[in-house]
Amino acid sequence: MADLPAIAEILDEAARTANAVAQISETTPLTSDDAYRVQALSLERRYARGERRVGVKMGLTSRAKMAQVGVDDVVWGRLTSAMRIEEGGHLSRAAFVHPRIEPEIAFLMKAPLSGEVSAMEALAAVEAVAPALEVIDSRYHDFRFDLGDVIADNASSAGFVIGPPAPVSHDIANLGMVLTVNGHVAETGSSAAIMGHPLRALVAAARMVATAGEELRPGDIVLAGAATAAVPLMPGQAIALQVEGLGAVAVNIGD
Amino acid sequence: MDQAKIMEAADRLWTAAQTGTPCAPVRDLIGSDDVEAAYAVQEINTRRLLGNEERVLSGRKIGLTSKSVQAQLGVGQPDFGMLYDDMEVMDGEEIAWSRCQQPKVEAEVAFVMAAPLTGAHIKMIDLIASIGFVLPAIEVVGSRIAGWDISLADTIADNASSGLYVLGQSPRRPADFDMRLCGMVMLRNNEPVSTGAGAACMGSPLNATLWLARKMAAAGNPLGPGDVVLSGALGPMVDAAPGDVFEARINGLGSVRAAFGEA
Repeated sequence: MADLPAIAEILDEAARTANAVAQISETTPLTSDDAYRVQALSLERRYARGERRVGVKMGLTSRAKMAQVGVDDVVWGRLTSAMRIEEGGHLSRAAFVHPRIEPEIAFLMKAPLSGEVSAMEALAAVEAVAPALEVIDSRYHDFRFDLGDVIADNASSAGFVIGPPAPVSHDIANLGMVLTVNGHVAETGSSAAIMGHPLRALVAAARMVATAGEELRPGDIVLAGAATAAVPLMPGQAIALQVEGLGAVAVNIGD
Repeated sequence: MDQAKIMEAADRLWTAAQTGTPCAPVRDLIGSDDVEAAYAVQEINTRRLLGNEERVLSGRKIGLTSKSVQAQLGVGQPDFGMLYDDMEVMDGEEIAWSRCQQPKVEAEVAFVMAAPLTGAHIKMIDLIASIGFVLPAIEVVGSRIAGWDISLADTIADNASSGLYVLGQSPRRPADFDMRLCGMVMLRNNEPVSTGAGAACMGSPLNATLWLARKMAAAGNPLGPGDVVLSGALGPMVDAAPGDVFEARINGLGSVRAAFGEA
């Protein structure tokens, strides 16, 4: 029987101190269920330090990423208050192991949502949509992991920046997204890369949090998933994301 | 330039197109990156098609418009090829597999010109003012060269790897959608197989088209009324297989389908 609290401590410390660790799967391959238990245990440690859960993130939401990790379902992780980065503000590169940034669509919830829901019910629980940047950071050497590893590592979630909110009447099916680094186009994509439609990621989020006995709560942020490949972060970068019809979101990378 | 080798390269590509049997690259004859020689090869076969074959130009296509593809071929510029009216396929019409040569599909913004673009220095405002309307398009690119084993000169000589094209049926004006930020998704069996945005095409499909308009005017073959311009892919190119049906959706511009017949 794997010592799940011990694994949770290893991963929590790795994240807290920005020091990479060996893949858990090298010694203790984890089932998805156990990996989610580890994630919950490591988040308990964060809550004990005063962080609050402020939302969830969805991962492996593109076919390409699912194929990379060899799975056919998405994964989820928890966002905490300490991961919030001010829009237009700075983040410190040194606070992370090997951070990357991804263009995303965020939902702000206005009503509780959990379990099996239709896209219509999911949308009815949304207050606003927004362009967003997610900072991902694997706590494993070389950003290498299997499914159990990445779930246990809180789906690589590390930080997020939320842009200006737009009403839910805005059609988010196929929004062009342009990510620039110091003004140069680094990645271009469409919100359609997120499971074909970002709303599908919200439906999946409701289903998956329910399996952990949790729910999406009013005020929660849900990051739907990446629209393009992730861009490695380095000090001195000015990162900006423009999303068709939704506006822009920016962050600057410091030492 | 060695005219005999340019003619030999044109003949090799011509035979491959006529017989439907892919040929070896032509870079052994004209070099890998001699752009001038490569367009000379393209020009020979263009004249054959317009002359003896009585084909009719319907427009131009722009290729190598994405940074990643330019990097692959080690170039900093796009290229162009000729479109002929019998390359057009109707939206959703079955494309006989025998018409294709190693087909791949790309979703693009198509401009239909309403006025001639001539002169020494064509400006962006001239281009915008000359656009009649805009359509979503799927370009079915192809290669006469076996296994798509192409260098820059190979693809230019091979009419920029052109094949067939499908236009959508919802004409828009340039002001009707965001040329740079428009989202693009191409689906096969409900799965997104290619996603992107307008900016993937040289920053904007208009940037690519202005480049083309200047090239064409300088070459004495200017864009004119009725010309279709396939401005370049908005996302990664995708291999097509017999029986595949692709639907491309460009936000604000509409959708278009390419349906391949069985082999």
